[in-house]
Amino acid sequence: MEEEQADAALVAAYKAGDAEALGVLMERHKAPVYGYLLRLTGRPDAADDLFQEVFLKLVKNPGAYNEREKLRAWLFTVARNAAMDYFRRETARSETPLEGDADKPGPADFIASSEPGPEQALYNKTLGERIDAAMGCLSADQREVFYLRQYSELSFREIADMLGLPIGTVLARMSRAAALLREKLEKETQ
Amino acid sequence: MNCEYGEKLILYFYGEAGEALRAETESHLAACGVCRASLAALKQAGDRLSVPQAGPSRAAQAAVMVAARAQAAKRRGFGFSWRPALLSGALSAVMGVVFAVSARNSAADLAWNSGIDAKLDSVEYSVYQAESDLAQASGDWEYGYSVLEDERSMVEV
Repeated sequence: MEEEQADAALVAAYKAGDAEALGVLMERHKAPVYGYLLRLTGRPDAADDLFQEVFLKLVKNPGAYNEREKLRAWLFTVARNAAMDYFRRETARSETPLEGDADKPGPADFIASSEPGPEQALYNKTLGERIDAAMGCLSADQREVFYLRQYSELSFREIADMLGLPIGTVLARMSRAAALLREKLEKETQ
Repeated sequence: MNCEYGEKLILYFYGEAGEALRAETESHLAACGVCRASLAALKQAGDRLSVPQAGPSRAAQAAVMVAARAQAAKRRGFGFSWRPALLSGALSAVMGVVFAVSARNSAADLAWNSGIDAKLDSVEYSVYQAESDLAQASGDWEYGYSVLEDERSMVEV
């Protein structure tokens, strides 16, 4: 609650002409927003552009943010929309192959992955890479809820509101994601 | 999660379960290896996502701040143009009220005390005097004209 009040006060200060208040806001939220965008895109350059896009939206039109809502929720909604637009643009341009390559995953890598691709990747990898591969087995819907919960630290109720879904659907996706992660990681250690 | 605790377990893991649900889930976890394994997998994946990243580039942050300073300056400029206008408007309104009140109660007194009335009398007298002089001159001229007319008729006869 204190964090929300502080955010609202900083936005009000920025609206009144204090540019440095925006800098403080960016400092407070940059790590989770950027981490989320980097995890979604898999590309530091794209994550950088999208990060800039998110905060520029607040810079140019702070009135778009309603001070009665959580700034964190607003930022993640904007970040998610920006990432979706990014994938649409990339797909339309056809500059990015749908499947991406070793360094740059493509949009298809963020849509529901089918086995055995990600499963094969579970073998002969470090623990971190094995976990990444297990997460790669999640459906796009499951991954979306999981990433949002991890990075934004919003409650499932808030995430449900953000996605326009019943909370039961959000919890069911998350529950299936946990089951799938367990299966994949258990299989690997057997 | 192959047991009915799937969603309850999620709420428990993320600290969103109420006290009763928390106690119930802990009791369940003591007896359910599948749910314990699911929690462990969630924790591993969550830890992996929590690994600190390098963060956005300085250039991206600087670009945001440049735009923020420009926008803030624009907003401040907008404010300064309105403030003096509002102040002058308020001052004019106050002065208008003061004049209206003073004029309503003592307009006649003000005119009398200022000597305007006496000056108006003087002007009025001067005008009367001028009119009188003009009438005198006009009468003299008419008399002179009639004398000349008489003399001409006598000459013609």
